[in-house]
Amino acid sequence: MSDTETRPTRSRREERRLARQYARQQGAWYPRWFWPSFAAPAILWMVVFFAASFYVILSVAFGTEDFFRNPLPVFQPWWWDFGTLTEQLHKIFGGVYQTVYLRTFAYVAIASVLCLLIGYPIAYFVARYGGRRKALFLVLLIMPFWISYLMRMFAWSSLLEVDGYVNDLLTFLNVLSKPYGWLEGKGITVVLGLVYGYVPYLILPLYGQLDRIDTSLLEAGRDLGASPARTFWRVTLPLSKPGILAGLIIVTLPMFGDYYTNNLLSQSPRTTMIGNLIDFTYANTGLAAQGASLVLTVAVLLIVPMVWYLRYTAKAAEAK
Amino acid sequence: MSQPREHLLRRRGPTSQLSRRQFLRASAGAALAVPTLSSILAACTKPGTEGTGGTGANGGAYPLARPDNPVTLPLHDDIPAIADNLPIEKGATLQIFNWVDYMWKKVISDFCEEFNVDYEWTTFNNMSEAIQKMNSGQVADVFFPTPDQMSKLTYGKLLQPLNHSYLPNLEANMWPTFQNPFYDQGWRYTVPYVTYSTGVAYRRDVVSDDEASAQGWDLIWNPTYKGKVGIYDDSRETLAMAMLRKGWTDLNTGDQGAIDQAEQDLAELVDLVDVRTTINGVYAKLPDGVYDVHQAWSGDIIGAQWYLNDLDTPGTTDVLGYWFPEDNQGPIFNDCITIPASAEHPVLAHAFLNFMLDEKHAFDNFTWNGYQPPLTSMDADALIQSNLGQYAPNTGPGSVPPSLPLAVVRKEMFAGGDFLFLGELSAEDEMKWQTAYQDFLAGA
Repeated sequence: MSDTETRPTRSRREERRLARQYARQQGAWYPRWFWPSFAAPAILWMVVFFAASFYVILSVAFGTEDFFRNPLPVFQPWWWDFGTLTEQLHKIFGGVYQTVYLRTFAYVAIASVLCLLIGYPIAYFVARYGGRRKALFLVLLIMPFWISYLMRMFAWSSLLEVDGYVNDLLTFLNVLSKPYGWLEGKGITVVLGLVYGYVPYLILPLYGQLDRIDTSLLEAGRDLGASPARTFWRVTLPLSKPGILAGLIIVTLPMFGDYYTNNLLSQSPRTTMIGNLIDFTYANTGLAAQGASLVLTVAVLLIVPMVWYLRYTAKAAEAK
Repeated sequence: MSQPREHLLRRRGPTSQLSRRQFLRASAGAALAVPTLSSILAACTKPGTEGTGGTGANGGAYPLARPDNPVTLPLHDDIPAIADNLPIEKGATLQIFNWVDYMWKKVISDFCEEFNVDYEWTTFNNMSEAIQKMNSGQVADVFFPTPDQMSKLTYGKLLQPLNHSYLPNLEANMWPTFQNPFYDQGWRYTVPYVTYSTGVAYRRDVVSDDEASAQGWDLIWNPTYKGKVGIYDDSRETLAMAMLRKGWTDLNTGDQGAIDQAEQDLAELVDLVDVRTTINGVYAKLPDGVYDVHQAWSGDIIGAQWYLNDLDTPGTTDVLGYWFPEDNQGPIFNDCITIPASAEHPVLAHAFLNFMLDEKHAFDNFTWNGYQPPLTSMDADALIQSNLGQYAPNTGPGSVPPSLPLAVVRKEMFAGGDFLFLGELSAEDEMKWQTAYQDFLAGA
């Protein structure tokens, strides 16, 4: 190596040394890897529990089975066999699973809208009128999380029995003329179960968003002559859109994979959701590749709203 | 009533309803269990082409046991039975691998007291999960498989052969059938645990015994009980029931036409009676009145009595009814106890098997579990409570409510090999049954 080649390097080093020295004097020097390293736990977590796990799902879906009909994942893509996935896709598009997929979409859509209709006023109330009791309201909102989802569903399965309190109340109020068989395989019960189970997840991000809205903007709206309704429609609602979307994403994604709500509140083939199909493959020998293929179809379906959400937030960030 | 609520989790059966109660654990388990170390190591060559799995799942590598085609399970040189007269391992912890709450803990405690050992209780929710865990290196001293897995388990080298010199109670106490069962000739690997039949449970305040006996399987297809009808969440049991209703008695068939017909008949139930698929419907929900009729294992309906209120009031159990074809044209079978090849305390495990084959302990377990051990000494008629007034739960004879005479399994039912049962299937046929049931579940 000649001097002419090494000199610039040396001088760059020199510059960095001086910069470090300066920064140290200012008391704010960190090595270059310092700040990025904070992302390491998250990256490690994602690699192990998402990327690697997802690759295993692929390997099971496109893999084979052993003597016991247990899944034998194939990790080399050149040996992957797409037969099972193709078979499942045929069942989904025009086959026996089509109804299940459409049903799941319908349940999730209705439940998400109901979650929003119920959750928005609550979040709005706490953010706007919570006042000094905001913390208390928040605790109350978080309280359902103290009890496991499963236990809450068990509670409902008892309340919704033919001679349960729900029927007692509704017949007393003359809403129903005779007790309704809520638990006898009714889609409406599954949807209400989903709403009940997931609505707190929607309220919290929505509250966060609403709470951040600058009240002076609302005052400005009123000052400029807008009615309360119009202010809400033109100011509050658009400003809370990111919260609505985040909340909807948070509730929609798990609803698509939900199977236990259905198991506890219906158990009828009439209300089978995608999650139930997957659950069956887990509980029965030799169906792991089928189950993994179904998981992939759900993952692909969910990527669409997710990508849309990411693009939306990216655009919103740019706009700022 | 000493401990009725313990029954909240008791069950037998090959599906995963209860794992859903513990779904977080189960889903975490699924995520972790799938990539086993051995399978990752096997990735050097294309999986499924070499090693233990070399024969492949569809190779038909193992024989399918039937009463007219009894199977002598293979012995392997590398998995010998233990030698005679070995001392029991000292200070050991017996590792039991069983269905969730399928055994009275008191009986196990009695064993531990007698042999001065501890025990560790590990459970599975279905055979699929159990075999997967065993194959992934789960260590256990005793394991409770269903006999329809026996060829697979022994050809796959997951069990060790038994040394009969430690198990005198089998010959002394158990029905002759189980001293040379068709699925394990010479009982090389298995001793029987409990027996059961599959019939229909009904509430006698809704259906009379005469009506039940006149309708038989049609109880399930009767729109009179709409909204109150349950079947087990199990592909084999449900499709087999639909076949029996139409008079098809080859319950281990691979006939696509018969399976499809059964699937259609099941699908009919969805609108006809608002059918629901459950695992705890019989023992937990029927006593509550959630169901009026439910496909039932005999042990479940016997266990259902613990879910009734006021059990000490005479006549309380009269509400429970059970129908099983008088001509024995319904599925019967048994579960087994085995010792895994991985057992760390095989001598202690033999002692445990012998203990469970003992009259007193087997009977104790029955009074909690509801599933009946095939004890020669157990006079089938004496099992039925003769006097409810003196009836005390969990103690002594008389544990079958008098309204359930057909829930008692009798040794004559197994005699002659002319009985119906759900046996091991080839992978190809198993898939046909599973696919048909999945189609039913989809509710399309």
